[in-house]
Amino acid sequence: MNPLDKPYAQLALALLTVLVLPLFLKSGILATEILIFAMVVAACNLLLGYTGLLSFGQGIFFGIGTYVAGICLTRWQVPVPLVLAGAAVLGAATATLVGWLSIRRQGVYFVMLTLAFSQLFYFVAYTFSGVTGGDNGLLGVPRPSVGGTALNAPWSYYTFVAICFVAVFAVLVMVTQSTFGRTLLAIRENEGRAAAIGFPTRLFKIEAFAISGAVTAFGGALHAMLIGVAPLSNIEYHTSELILIMTIIGGSSSLFGSVLGAGFYLLLADALSTVWPRWLLLLGLVLVTVALFLQRGLWGLVERGYDLVFRRERAPETPAEEH
Amino acid sequence: MINRRRFLTTSTLAAASLAAPGLVTRALAQGEALKIGVPVPISGAFAANGKFATIGAVMAAEEVAAAHGVQVSTLDLDTEGKPATAVRKVQDALAQDGVKLFAGGILSSESLAMGKEVERGGGAFMTTAGADEITGVDCNKATFRWSVPTHGAINETVRPIIDALPDAKKWYTITPQYVFGDGLLNAAKAVFEEKGIEHVGNSYHSLTDKEFSGYLTNAIAAQPDVLLLLNFGAQSSDTLRQAVSFGLKQRMTIVVAWASGLEQFEALGPDICEGVYFGAQYWHGADSALNRELVAKVQEKHGFNPNYSFAGSYICAKLLLEAAVQAGSPDGAGVAAALNGLKYQGLTGEEEIRAADHQVIKDYYLLKGKAKADMADKDDYAEIISAGKSFLSPEDAGCTMPA
Repeated sequence: MNPLDKPYAQLALALLTVLVLPLFLKSGILATEILIFAMVVAACNLLLGYTGLLSFGQGIFFGIGTYVAGICLTRWQVPVPLVLAGAAVLGAATATLVGWLSIRRQGVYFVMLTLAFSQLFYFVAYTFSGVTGGDNGLLGVPRPSVGGTALNAPWSYYTFVAICFVAVFAVLVMVTQSTFGRTLLAIRENEGRAAAIGFPTRLFKIEAFAISGAVTAFGGALHAMLIGVAPLSNIEYHTSELILIMTIIGGSSSLFGSVLGAGFYLLLADALSTVWPRWLLLLGLVLVTVALFLQRGLWGLVERGYDLVFRRERAPETPAEEH
Repeated sequence: MINRRRFLTTSTLAAASLAAPGLVTRALAQGEALKIGVPVPISGAFAANGKFATIGAVMAAEEVAAAHGVQVSTLDLDTEGKPATAVRKVQDALAQDGVKLFAGGILSSESLAMGKEVERGGGAFMTTAGADEITGVDCNKATFRWSVPTHGAINETVRPIIDALPDAKKWYTITPQYVFGDGLLNAAKAVFEEKGIEHVGNSYHSLTDKEFSGYLTNAIAAQPDVLLLLNFGAQSSDTLRQAVSFGLKQRMTIVVAWASGLEQFEALGPDICEGVYFGAQYWHGADSALNRELVAKVQEKHGFNPNYSFAGSYICAKLLLEAAVQAGSPDGAGVAAALNGLKYQGLTGEEEIRAADHQVIKDYYLLKGKAKADMADKDDYAEIISAGKSFLSPEDAGCTMPA
């Protein structure tokens, strides 16, 4: 195992990211968005990288978190800790339902089911505009307060999100290192054998979905508070697509790869979008390159770089169970 | 970090500044440049609109700089057509770049969200987006809207056609099912009821639909005299193309209530536009002094005629910058005070900014597509049939302006 893949190294890298972002980025908003998407992408990675489930349903959970924050904070002034807990619980419950129905099929049918759910939830949000604000979204979502002081300054809110990010990342590292996480890897590698040993594989998959949904909805709630609005676009299929793209670019063999994927995408978009209207073409090329030559994503490059610098003989491409 | 921003800075010590030296020098003489953010979709599906909008804002900035002898810089903010991205870019511009003025927001959802953010940041925002809520229930101190809302768009298209075609008693509508579409539909139903028109049917479609043949088949079955399209942008173009290919132009009158003008006509071509009625916020052939001046300038500088994206961004940026110069500061409160109640000669003739809801009272046009053989030049797609002002009162629009 590459030393960078050890759990403490992953956590240290996450901490380092939190500390380094303010030094290199002028925009506290952008830095905060990177951390929010980093945790959301890591949650997607739990499904894709560790369980082998390519889900197009992540946008559902992100959107639900967004609406929980939007509704609770604009209509009822619910305390923020309760809002975040409520978003996580509702995200987990929805993910359990989606997962329970979707994992009844495998492969392309599973993917199509998650895609269908994604569209279904989008149209539910679109149709019930009295609750969700429809196409206009819910406006005026406030930022949280600590000790009576609202975290309106971008870097104040960044600090709040950074604490949440480190906590969530640590939980995800613990999950992947636990017996539960190891079992997910076994299911990903050979579900039939895992079932034959006696593992209730469907239950494990549903639990993975629930954890992923909880974290994603948690991120969605933080995002609504960041931008002050709960937009319909957060529950669109494109949000699921975006999260998946970040996961694949970052690399699905490491949780910190998700942080790299989120950071890479958001910084690329921020840098290029006003310079070159067709910058998404470049994103397409990056995806093609990753699919053809860098199947371990940006994290694979980091591992190779580490091996080169420390003159280690690079281990052959290994599946994720070694992490 | 790579700087994503494209700055244009213009400064001219124009003699025109002598005309208002007190106003200009009071707060802006210390070398402070006026900055205006242009939050529009520069990439993504609406990139073409954003491109013209940014050029329009730059032209306004150059004119204000030349007229008042102040430095003016524009800051392009790519919203990607997404509310979340739009808000983030506006937050960054407010916090990092000290931008207080914003002209843009083509899509309703992003404009509503940005308006709230600009209000929170103490700035001023003017948009051309269509949602009634912008100057209705979600009106706020910082947000102004140049474009005519749904009530005016319907009243200035449907009424004149009813008057011109007294035998056309049966109308069918095709509507995008969301707040904006319902706003148009409800306004149309009110006019139908008042004028004794039979509304023989309506087809709702979602914002993601691209195929409209099923809805058109329903329309044909209802045998209307007029088909009223209440969708917009690419969806109204697609619906119109398919309607023409179904031969509906020969069977009934077709009306597109909310067209985007020149850019849409260029995409459709004269064969499709011929004989079709279009409602439009702006037309480069409109007979007003400022519009004639703008068309001449744009032709000279860029070699094309201004379209709605260009003109809307131009006038929004110009109004905000002029107001900031007059107020001596780009701060939202001063700019709003300068804009409230302002009467001026605008692109559509006499325009007025209503203080109670920050809605610009301006003309909305009813155009009719010309035959290719009748076009005087490549952009002469349509003739103006009528123009007029129809607006709900601020109370009826639902605006309660915060104190």
